[in-house]
Amino acid sequence: MKGLAPLFLGIFGTFAFSWVGLTVIPNWQIGHLDPQMEEDGSDAYPQPQSGMVERGARVYAANGCIYCHSQQVRADYAADDIERKWGGRRSAPRDYIFERPVFLGKMRMGQDLSNIGARALAEQENAPPAGATSPAASPAPPGGAPAPGAAPSGASPSPPANAGSPPPGAAAPKTTASPPPAGSPATSSAAASPSPPANAGSPPPGAPPSKTTGSPPPAGSPATSAASPPPSQTPGASASPGPNAPPASPTPPAAANASPAAGAPWPVQTSGQPPMYSAAWHHVHLYSPRSINVDSNMPSYRFLYQTRRINDTPSDDGLRLSGSEAPPEGWEIVPTYDAKCLVAYLISLNQSHPLKEVRSAAPAASPPAAPGK
Amino acid sequence: MAVCVKRMNASGIPLKEPSVSAAAADAEQVERALIDASTRVPVLMFYASAMAWLIIGTLLAGFVSFKLHTPDLFSEISFLTWGRMRPAHMNVMVYGWASMAGMGTAIWLMARLCRTILRHPLLLVAGAGFWNLGVLLGVCGILLGDSTGYQWLEFPHYAAIILFVAYTLIVSWAVLMFRFRRGEQIYITQWYLLGAFLWFPWLYAAGQLMLFAVPVQGVLQSAVGWWYANNLLFLWFGAIGLGTAYYMIPKVIGRPVYSYHLATIGFWSYALFSSWTGMQRLVDGPFPAWMVTASIAATILTMIPVATVGLNHHMTMQGYFPLLRYSPTLRFTVFGAISYTVFSMVGVLISLRSVARYVNFTQASIAYSHLGLYAFFTMVIFGSMYYIVPRLVGREWRYASLIKLHFWASVYGIGLMTLMLLAGGLLQGENMENPSLAFSETTETVLPYLRGRSLAGILLTASHFIFAYHFGLMLLGLGRTSTVPTFLNPVEAEGPETHL
Repeated sequence: MKGLAPLFLGIFGTFAFSWVGLTVIPNWQIGHLDPQMEEDGSDAYPQPQSGMVERGARVYAANGCIYCHSQQVRADYAADDIERKWGGRRSAPRDYIFERPVFLGKMRMGQDLSNIGARALAEQENAPPAGATSPAASPAPPGGAPAPGAAPSGASPSPPANAGSPPPGAAAPKTTASPPPAGSPATSSAAASPSPPANAGSPPPGAPPSKTTGSPPPAGSPATSAASPPPSQTPGASASPGPNAPPASPTPPAAANASPAAGAPWPVQTSGQPPMYSAAWHHVHLYSPRSINVDSNMPSYRFLYQTRRINDTPSDDGLRLSGSEAPPEGWEIVPTYDAKCLVAYLISLNQSHPLKEVRSAAPAASPPAAPGK
Repeated sequence: MAVCVKRMNASGIPLKEPSVSAAAADAEQVERALIDASTRVPVLMFYASAMAWLIIGTLLAGFVSFKLHTPDLFSEISFLTWGRMRPAHMNVMVYGWASMAGMGTAIWLMARLCRTILRHPLLLVAGAGFWNLGVLLGVCGILLGDSTGYQWLEFPHYAAIILFVAYTLIVSWAVLMFRFRRGEQIYITQWYLLGAFLWFPWLYAAGQLMLFAVPVQGVLQSAVGWWYANNLLFLWFGAIGLGTAYYMIPKVIGRPVYSYHLATIGFWSYALFSSWTGMQRLVDGPFPAWMVTASIAATILTMIPVATVGLNHHMTMQGYFPLLRYSPTLRFTVFGAISYTVFSMVGVLISLRSVARYVNFTQASIAYSHLGLYAFFTMVIFGSMYYIVPRLVGREWRYASLIKLHFWASVYGIGLMTLMLLAGGLLQGENMENPSLAFSETTETVLPYLRGRSLAGILLTASHFIFAYHFGLMLLGLGRTSTVPTFLNPVEAEGPETHL
């Protein structure tokens, strides 16, 4: 080859071609999306996150969670993500418009987390009360720290939910430990149902329909409650909270969270484990993954927690650990602020809001999945 | 036999007429020795830094590998957590080892091929210093929890800026060298090197700008991230690796490249197609389908440069394969060149939608990047170091046995690692696609393979320590004083040329 000019131009040209083709054009195509909202401007989704959630995302990046956890649900025809109950529909570009950095992920040594927040609600409300979760799902919990105490109104629909849950046989012995305040009835029932393996993605018979509750639309909830027939007396119960709940709780009711400013600590249950995917559960899981699932391969993140002597009264944030993990008498293990932010971030992950451009896969994919278990 | 030695030792620049008069050959010898001497300080500086980073990166890799199947190892300590050590390992290897060693080789090749003594060495020395500082700050930043969370761009901004300054110094040197070059002919290696030197700053700047300065929205960050990572692999490391192979193979066997024409096709198709790959890693993600499809198509089209480059190397080597018994450089380089073909074919396989369905999100992608960065690039660079370092320090490698150990430990190490990760990844993906299995079973499935990978890691660690020790001896001037390069095996009376 003679002369630098053609060489230089070629080198520049090929690069520019690739740059324009793979970054500039896509940016023009999907780089300026707005949140979806109703015509009157209500029900905007997604909404920008701030405060603890934003900081939690940085903790997530700093500790390399992205190397094992993806945050994308692939379409039902391409993969089994929906069947694994990682989401009710495939992820779309609009789901991520406020994410920075975006953690789509590259590897799944751990589960997909794109709907971990929604799954908390689903697990807690448990199988029958599909309607009860719909208010929770509609506003993507802003600020990330959906306080359980914030749901005084949410508490009212939950007792029926609790009533509905016993059918899964396992729940019976454990619900005995559920006297406490506000949000707890619902939570205790949820706590009872996920026996450890449920965590692993193949829940026991009682649990599976729960995931579908993540799809909140009024239209969707009949379908989901239909998908969870086993508990006999519930359909009626679930139908009624459905319609009345949305107005009842504009604040995220999410019995999901104990840690940040929570009024009501989790009841210590005989099983020793907080409700699945709740904040308290996340803390225990981050601190000691194998105390929740012996097969887990996740490293523990103890450096995000602090062991300290109890001064007067135990902190509300103290981790509910049992067995060998439990701190010695007079000591407690509490999350650092970073840990709280991380959990707030995790709980904010929720793509259950329907998007117009994505077919909600719930009717197609979930029903066949449920009997399959 | 003497002919052979002479050939390996002092052949003309490939492509030159083989018949030069003795006097002219001597003059060229002297000229080359002068050029080599002028490159000594900067190139050795790059190499020595690269070796230090290689050892650090290898130790980090050991932690990463063992911690992945023993998650409780050191998990109480924040900077030893797996999620920080892994990016630290990757970035040390990418920016510390591979980039620095690659630049060292590239600088030496530039001086040789421009046929001019290295001017402005201070630019390079300063560049190497700043580059080391940038990598050091970046790795400390990652370990202290400042990682940005973007693949291969985890270095926090303060480190990224220093790296960019360092790189500006180095590339301005490269441009200067081109101005001072002698001779009209621009050899194949120079195309690749010039490409690499110019692509990298554009790439790095584009990545930094679109992710940090003027961040793109939402999922596009991921697209830019993969575009950057993939192009770094192809346009930076790949280009340096191929350019080096194009020099070393003809040089060592003393025979011009088989076809100049094929090389042209190979270069331009490489630049055109490989730069469009990357999006296949986003298959079925929240992206317009055309992006993924375009990258899959481009990946398949990279078979064109693979075929032409592979054919060219093969035809050049035709009849000279027995030399692999003797020349360390040739052995490493040819292994690397063959790995380039394997790497590209695996790349095509795992990008096909039907296969990607199973291997996406699994360990197979780790196998792929190790094939590219280690089996191909690093092995080629090892080969070039075996050629270049003796010419810089004026000593020959001391122990043929250590070179052989280094070679075989590397080959078995990377081979075992690739097999383990590919097989483990396939099984992992298969189980993941079977929703009746609990998710934790997919992780359990792959654990034995990860233990196998750790075993491979031990082999690689041994090979790197051997090489570092040998390199250290050379730096200290403890190499052999000899006019004959160190051969892997004693040259028999029959001599290799009977096979020629």
